[in-house]
Amino acid sequence: MSAVLPTILTPILAPVAAATVIALGRRLPGPIALAGVVVALLASGMLLAAAFSGRVSPLVLPGLPEMPLRLEAGPLSAVLSALVAVIATFVLVFATGYMRADPQRNRFFATMLIFVAAMQALVLAADWITLLAAWEVIGATSYLLIGFWYRKPGVADAATRAFLYTRSADLGLYLGVFLLIGAAGSSEISATLAISGPAATLGGLLLLVAAMGKSAQLPMQDWLMRAMAGPTPVSALLHSATLVAAGAILLIRVSPMLPGQTLVVIGLVGGATTVVTGMIALAERDLKRLLAASTSSQYGLMLLAVGAGAPVVALLHLIAHAAIKSGLFLGAGVFQHQRGSTRLEDLAGVGRAHPRIFAGFALAALSLAGIPPLAGFFSKDAIIAATMSAPGAAWLLPLGLAGTVLTGAYMARAMTLLWRGPHAPAGGGNPDLVWMGSGMGALVALAAGLGAGFPAVEELLGAHVATSAVAMALGLGAALAGLALGWKVDGARLLGPLAGRAERGFAIGGGMDALVARPALALARACDRFETRLFGAVLAVGRATATIAQGTRVSDERGIDGAIFGLVRATIASGARARRLQSGLIHRELALTAIATGLIAAALFAAPLLL
Amino acid sequence: MSRDLSFLLPELVLMVTAALMLAGEMIRRPRLVLGIGLVGLALATGLAWPLLKADTTVFGGTYRIGPLAVWSKLILLPATALSLLLARAELAGKFREGSVYSLMVLVSIGALMLAGSGDVMLLVLGVVLTGLGSFALVAWPADDPATEAAMKFLVFGSVAGAVMVYGLTFWFAGAGSTLLSALTGIDRAPVLAAAGLVGLLVGLGYKAALVPFHFWAPDAYEGAPVSVAAFLSVVTKVAAIFALAQALSALPVQTGWQWAVAVIAAISMTYGYLAALVQSNLVRLLAWSSVAQSGYFLLGLVAVGGGALARESLIVFAAAYAAMNIGAFAIVLIGGRDMEAIGGLGRRAPARAAAMSVFLLSLTGIPPLFGFFGKALLFGAALDAGFLWLVVVAILNSVLALGVYLRIVVALYAPAEAAQPAPQAGAAVSTVWIVTLVITLVMGVLTRLLTG
Repeated sequence: MSAVLPTILTPILAPVAAATVIALGRRLPGPIALAGVVVALLASGMLLAAAFSGRVSPLVLPGLPEMPLRLEAGPLSAVLSALVAVIATFVLVFATGYMRADPQRNRFFATMLIFVAAMQALVLAADWITLLAAWEVIGATSYLLIGFWYRKPGVADAATRAFLYTRSADLGLYLGVFLLIGAAGSSEISATLAISGPAATLGGLLLLVAAMGKSAQLPMQDWLMRAMAGPTPVSALLHSATLVAAGAILLIRVSPMLPGQTLVVIGLVGGATTVVTGMIALAERDLKRLLAASTSSQYGLMLLAVGAGAPVVALLHLIAHAAIKSGLFLGAGVFQHQRGSTRLEDLAGVGRAHPRIFAGFALAALSLAGIPPLAGFFSKDAIIAATMSAPGAAWLLPLGLAGTVLTGAYMARAMTLLWRGPHAPAGGGNPDLVWMGSGMGALVALAAGLGAGFPAVEELLGAHVATSAVAMALGLGAALAGLALGWKVDGARLLGPLAGRAERGFAIGGGMDALVARPALALARACDRFETRLFGAVLAVGRATATIAQGTRVSDERGIDGAIFGLVRATIASGARARRLQSGLIHRELALTAIATGLIAAALFAAPLLL
Repeated sequence: MSRDLSFLLPELVLMVTAALMLAGEMIRRPRLVLGIGLVGLALATGLAWPLLKADTTVFGGTYRIGPLAVWSKLILLPATALSLLLARAELAGKFREGSVYSLMVLVSIGALMLAGSGDVMLLVLGVVLTGLGSFALVAWPADDPATEAAMKFLVFGSVAGAVMVYGLTFWFAGAGSTLLSALTGIDRAPVLAAAGLVGLLVGLGYKAALVPFHFWAPDAYEGAPVSVAAFLSVVTKVAAIFALAQALSALPVQTGWQWAVAVIAAISMTYGYLAALVQSNLVRLLAWSSVAQSGYFLLGLVAVGGGALARESLIVFAAAYAAMNIGAFAIVLIGGRDMEAIGGLGRRAPARAAAMSVFLLSLTGIPPLFGFFGKALLFGAALDAGFLWLVVVAILNSVLALGVYLRIVVALYAPAEAAQPAPQAGAAVSTVWIVTLVITLVMGVLTRLLTG
C-alpha cells in the first residue's frame, strides 16, 4: 500500500473515502464506516510501529510558497493518531447499534468519518497551515454533529453556541500562529518551537486562548454542556480523543516553547477549571451534562500538568481519559436507549436492570477517580507528582488535589443515583445492545488496562515520569475521600451554599455572551439604523418635493397645469425610484467622496513632514 | 516594432475578436457572437501563456509585459469567458443580447490595458475604455432601475475620471515624463507627488469600488443583469488593483502612499462588511462584500514596492477572488436575487447549495479553500511591509465576514416553506459554477503552481 499511497495519508484518506462511498451509495453506512476506520486504525498502527523503530519520514506536499504542507508521524503524533483511530473505531461499533433506526444515519456516519479524518490530519500535521485547516474542518463538522437532530428544540441553538464560542477562541489560534510563523520565518511546527522571548510568551498565551475555547476551559466551559444535545456517540467521540482534546493537544505540542510565566497562566487556568467544573458536575441533574462537566474538569487537570511542566503526564492523562470518557458516554447511551432520557431522576435504578453495563460504567468511573490498578490511577498519580515538583507547587498542588476529590465525589454520586431506585426489569434481548455493549466493553477494558502501556509511551517519547510515594498516598487518599463523600452525602449538601450557582453552571456563560454575541449583533443593528435613517432622508426629500408640487397644483388649479402635473408625476416617480434603489442622492454621495478625498489629500500633503 | 507586436498578440487577437463580434451582432446572430467571443478569449489566453517567462516592456516602456500583466490576462480572460456564459444563461433570446457579449470583450481589452500599464496615459485610457463599456452594460436592460444606476455610474465615473486626469498631470510636472518608471525621484517634489497620488487613488479607487469611492457599486450591480454585476465585480476591479500595483511599485514610500492605501484598506473592509451585514438582496450583499474584498486586495498593495511576495499574493488572491465571486454570482443567477428566494435551496438543489456554501466559505477565508491561501499570502505580504495593525484589522474583519456569509448559508439550509421545484439551470450556467467550484476547491493546495 505504501508504494501507492504513503501510509501517513491513509488514516486521513480512508475515512474520507468511506464517507464518499456512503454519500454516493446511500446504503449500509455502518459497515462501510467501520471498514473506513478499521483501515485507518491499521495504518495508524503501522505509523506507531514505525515511530517505535525510529523510522519517521515526513511527507511534504506543495502548499504556499516557502510554506509547504507537511505531515509527519513523530512519536507524539503517532501515539495520538493511534488513540484517535482506536476510540473512533469502538465508538462507531457502538453507533452501528445506536443509530440503527435513525432515518438520517447516512448523514450521521458520513459526517463522523469526515470529523475523524480531520482529527487525524490535526494530530499528524507538522506545519501550522495544515493544522489550521484541520482545526477549521473539526470546528465545522462538530457543529454539524452537535446539531444533528436539528429539528429538536434547542439543538440548533446549542450547536450555534458551541460554534460561536470555539470560533471566537480560534482568533487566538490565528493570531498566535501568524505571530509564530512571523517570528520563526517558517510554518513548520518544529521550527517555531525553537523561538523564545516575548514572541514565545505572547504566542503561547494566544494559543492558550484557542485551547481554552476548544477544551472548554473557564470561562468558556458553557458550550460543552449544551453540546450534549447531539447523539451520544458524538458526545463520546467529541469529548474523549477529538474535539475537546484538540486544545490540550495543541498545548502539549507547543509546550517545549512555552516560557515559565506562560506555563503558570496555563496551570492556573487548568486548576481553576478543574475545581469549578468539578463542582458543576457535582450539582448536575442530567447524566450526560454531568459527564460533560467532568470532561471540562479533566482537561483542566491536563492543563494543570502542562502548566507544571510535565506535558508527557498530560498526554498520559489524555490517553487514559479518552478511553474512560468514551466508555462512560457509551454506558450513558445504553441507559438512555432503555429509558429514553438522560435525566438522573429518570435513570434512577437503571444500573440494577443492566448489571453488566453498570459494571462497565462503574469500572470506568473508578478508573477516572484514580483507583489502582486502573489506568486513571497512574495518570492522576503522575499529575499530583508533577505539581509537587513544579515551581508553582503552592498553587498547583491544592488545585490538583481538589480536582481529584471532586472527581471521586461526582463519579460516586453518578453511580449511587444509577444504582439506587426502583427496580424495573430490562427490556428483552435487543440486537442493538450487542453492538453497543461490545463497543463499550472494549473501551472499558482499555480504560482499565491502559496503564500497562504507559511505560512504553514514556519510552517512545523519551521522557521519564517521576512519581513518589507521597504523591501516590496523597492522590489515592483524595480519590478515596471523594468517592466516600459522593457515595454517602448528597451532592447538593456537599456544595452547601454554592449548590445553586453550580447547578446554573456558575452563570459565566452569560458573561461570554455579553463579550462575543451581543456586541456583534448590536453593531449590526446600529448599521441597520444608519441605513434606515439614510433611507428616511431620501424619502423625506421625495415627500417634500411632492408636497410643494401638490401646493402648486392647488394654488393654480385652473391654470395651464399640464407641465406642473408632469413635474409632480416625475417627482413622485423619481421618489419611488430612489426608494427602489435605496438612495438616489448622487450629489450627497459625491460630496461624501469629495470630503474623503480632501482628507486623503490633506494627510498626504502632511506626510512628507511626518515621515 | 515586430518584436513589440509579438508581445501584444493576445491583445491583437482580442481586438479582432471584438470587431468580428460587433459584425456578428449587426446581422443579429447572438450564438455566433458568443462563439466568436469564447474562441477569441481562449485563443488570447493560450497566446498569453508563453509570455509568463517574459519581464519586459514594449512601445518605449509604456506597456509592461511582466508577471502582473501576463497573469492578469490568464485570470481575467477566462473570467470574461465565464461571464459571457453567465450572460448567455441570463439573457438568451432577449433583444440585442449579442451586444452584451461584444461589450464585455471590449471592456476586457481595457482591463488588460490597465493591468499592464507602464505609463499614466495608458492608465487614463484604460479607465476610459473600461468605463464606456461598463456604463452601457449596466444600462443594457433599459428599464428604470438600470437606467438610473447607469446614470449614477456615469456621473460618478466622470467626476472620478476628471479628478484622476487632473491629478496625474501633476506627476508629469514633477517627473518630467508620463512613464510610471520615472516616478522614483518624485519625492523631491512632495506636493506634486501627493496631488498625483490623490488623482490616482480617486480614479482607480472608483474603478475598484474602494471606500469612499464605492457609492455607485451597489446600485450599479443591482440595476445591471446579474452576469454584468459578476463581470464588473471581478474583471474591472482586479484590473484596477493591478493598475494601482503597477503605479505604486515605483512610487517612493516617502510620499506616504503606503499609509493612505492601508487606511483605505481598513475602512473598505470594515465598512463593506458592516453594510453587507444588513442586506437582504443577495446582489447588493455581494456588491458590499466585493467592496470589502477590494480592501483585502490592498493588503498586498501596501507591500508592492518591496518584494515578489506582494505581487504573488495579488495574483493568487485575484485568481481565487475571480473563481469564488463568479461562482457565487452564478448560484444567485440560478437561485434568485433575494435571500428568501434561495431559502431551502439545500433541499431542492443540494449540489448547488453546497457549491454556494463553498464559495461563501472561501470568500470568508476558511482553509483549505482557495480564498484562504490568497488571504494568507496577502497577510504575509502586509506583515513583511511592517503593517501588523492592518493584518490584525483584516483578521478581525474575517469574523464580520463570517457573519455576512453564514447568513446566506443558514438561509440555504433553512427548511423550505412550500414545496417549490428545484430551479432550472441550463448547461451554460452549470458549466460556470462547476468550473469555479473545482478551482475554489482544488487550486488552494496547488497555489505553488501559480507562483512558480
